Amino acid sequence: MRRMLLLALAVPLLQGCKRETRDLRPDPPVAAALDGVAILPIGIGGRPPEVYFALGKPYRTNAYQLSEGKRLYAWFGCPQCHGQGEGTARGPALLDGWWNYGPGLETIYLSVRDGRPGGMPAFRSRLTNDQLWQLAGYVQQLGAYSGGAAAPSRDDAPPTRPAENRAPARFAPLEP
Amino acid sequence: MSAQPRDTGLDGAALDAALASVWSARPGLLGWFTTVDHKAIGRRYIATAFLFLALGGVLALLMRWQLAQPEGRLLGPDRFNQIFTMHGATMMFLFAVPVMEAVGVYLVPLMVGTRNIAFPRLNAFSYWVYLFGGALLWIAFLLDMGPDVGWFAYVPLSGPQYAPGKRADIWAQMITFTEIAALAVAVEIVVTVFKQRAPGMSLDRMPLFVWAMLVTSFVVILAMPAVVLASTALILDRLVGTQFFNPAAGGDVLLWQHLFWFFGHPEVYIIFIPAVGMVSTILSTFCRRPIFGYTAMVLALVSIGLLAFGLWVHHMFTTGLPRLGESFFTASSMAIAVPSGLQIFCWLATLWGARPRMAVPMLYVLAFLFTFVLGGMTGVMVASVPLDTQLHDSYFVVAHFHYVLIGGAVFPLLGAIHYWFPKLSGRMMSERLGRWAWGLVFGGFNLVFFPMHILGLWGMPRRVYTYQPELPWAGLNLFSSLSAALLALGFLLFFWNAWRSARKGEMAGPDPWGAPTLEWATASPPPPWNFSRIPVVESVSPLWDAPGELKVATGLRLDRRELVLTSVMAAEPEARDSSPQDSIWPFLAAIVTSVMLIWSIFSPWAVVWGSIPVVAALILWFWPRGTPEDES
Repeated sequence: MRRMLLLALAVPLLQGCKRETRDLRPDPPVAAALDGVAILPIGIGGRPPEVYFALGKPYRTNAYQLSEGKRLYAWFGCPQCHGQGEGTARGPALLDGWWNYGPGLETIYLSVRDGRPGGMPAFRSRLTNDQLWQLAGYVQQLGAYSGGAAAPSRDDAPPTRPAENRAPARFAPLEP
Repeated sequence: MSAQPRDTGLDGAALDAALASVWSARPGLLGWFTTVDHKAIGRRYIATAFLFLALGGVLALLMRWQLAQPEGRLLGPDRFNQIFTMHGATMMFLFAVPVMEAVGVYLVPLMVGTRNIAFPRLNAFSYWVYLFGGALLWIAFLLDMGPDVGWFAYVPLSGPQYAPGKRADIWAQMITFTEIAALAVAVEIVVTVFKQRAPGMSLDRMPLFVWAMLVTSFVVILAMPAVVLASTALILDRLVGTQFFNPAAGGDVLLWQHLFWFFGHPEVYIIFIPAVGMVSTILSTFCRRPIFGYTAMVLALVSIGLLAFGLWVHHMFTTGLPRLGESFFTASSMAIAVPSGLQIFCWLATLWGARPRMAVPMLYVLAFLFTFVLGGMTGVMVASVPLDTQLHDSYFVVAHFHYVLIGGAVFPLLGAIHYWFPKLSGRMMSERLGRWAWGLVFGGFNLVFFPMHILGLWGMPRRVYTYQPELPWAGLNLFSSLSAALLALGFLLFFWNAWRSARKGEMAGPDPWGAPTLEWATASPPPPWNFSRIPVVESVSPLWDAPGELKVATGLRLDRRELVLTSVMAAEPEARDSSPQDSIWPFLAAIVTSVMLIWSIFSPWAVVWGSIPVVAALILWFWPRGTPEDES
């Protein structure tokens, strides 16, 4: 009984640890291994590298990683085509729940890394592996139907839409 | 109403038995959680604050270890940010302010000759809230969620864009806990001092420590609302997307700094003014004469309390101010040296020609005089804008405020602990261990922090987690880090001394120092009712001027907790009043308040749902129970 109680206490606490850690620069072998996505021949769907699970899926559950993804989204010109997620004439929306290549995080990672036909450029040579994952995590959470345990807040910019952490407060499985 | 038993004509033993039956706390664990005795709560408060001092000290040692050599590998940048934030927040909010208020909670009712602090249940509530706030901060830190934005949490770095996660919210909510605790104690002390002084203790017969706590309490009451406002606005910005500090939406980043320092500078005096009171008390006892210039000292205390609110902008000289503003705040910053200097000269005049007894408390007072004057000098230096522009955010500033805070507050506090330890525990602290600890603390402190002046002048910035070997800072940093071991050893000795003396120390008796103030007129440690009969005061040093027996007031009821209310100015007796009984509800109310505050880090709805149990707890707290104390 007491052990169960301790376990029940420990689980959210450990969750808390993962949620708030700030890995400013991953070890080089870890960063290299993050690129090892196994992908189906059609280029959609697959399996993230083992190391992604070993790290505890930080790119969807860690507020710091998500907010880094948000900064990269602004810095690397994503709003040029995708706007603040609502899409433009040049690029599809990210908020509408329709994913041209499926909603999986590894697929979004591949789309950003390798680009897609129809104008999506490849960012392979512009971002490091962990930055690509940060960006993919942010993009996936932009289009998620339910809020996660971790989210970035509003920017210090003129408000154009509710901040990410004002999204639906219902907690749902992290992978849509 | 002839049925009410009175204390008139009872002899000592029968009186004490009657008082014990109404004033004693319940035995056992329940009594521990329900007691509203200001001495029990004050002791607890002091012990907890010293625990936080030790924890903050460990963090300081970690930082010194990291900075001992260039390119140190002990801590990474993220951990270092958390550690310097935790060190500052712990020392300022969980140690310095609470410990000064705690000493006040313990001593003010004894010094003014009453039986309990005003609003004793609020006092218990204040302690629990403080404890839970400290636990919140430290548990978060152990979970890698510790705030990493500095103890001042400047926006935009603590704002929604640059501080993802909940770390900055933990800081802001911890402030709320300490605000509640500090405001509660401040109100209690003001009321205790104004209405519960012993008959005859007019304002000009109040001990200087009581004056200091009174001024401090008013400063707390006036300063804390600014930081309540600031931290609430920060939480709202972060949680619900308000725009208080967002310049793009009409908010203002500098607004944070103004609000924070309008609290933050008086905060320094909240810590320093009680220390002034401690120094005056110790000096007077060990020189065996009243303090020189009592009226001047009181006026200096009050004017420091007032001036404290007029110089916050000197923390912001490098933010780009109008020239007139810079000149004004330079002048007001330097002006505070006038009352401070007046006090120093009053102390020197008290020492002049006296043959002070060089016991450990007195040694700490001398350490204070030396160190605080040095810190005050560098304070006048950084009060001038051109020099401050050079020295801002450098180690010179680190050296300056450690000289002021440790020299100006921690040394007097350590002296005060040695001085009042016999009253707290009934036993003396070891003089021999005390002298060793004093030497190590005083010497170690100067060896650690003096080189930082030079490091600052050589350009070493604050809050860097490491530095390159090409820079000329390695030698002094290593020296400072090695000296930190001496300082730590001194504190260890102090803690060991307190621990050991509380068990095996020499028995003290009611007045081991031959001191003049009322707290020494009762047993050590005092009984739960403090004074068997309320003393009547006829001078500023009652125990010196009325050797033998103090005059006492009689006629108080014995079937309920009762004390005497007196008038504000002349302390003429006005009424007998009841003092509340023990209660579990302050503890439970503190728990539900903490749940609401911590929950509200994660969801704004916590304020709605969480306030229901708070209201319920408060209703039950105040529910009349038909005890004799409920009669008006």
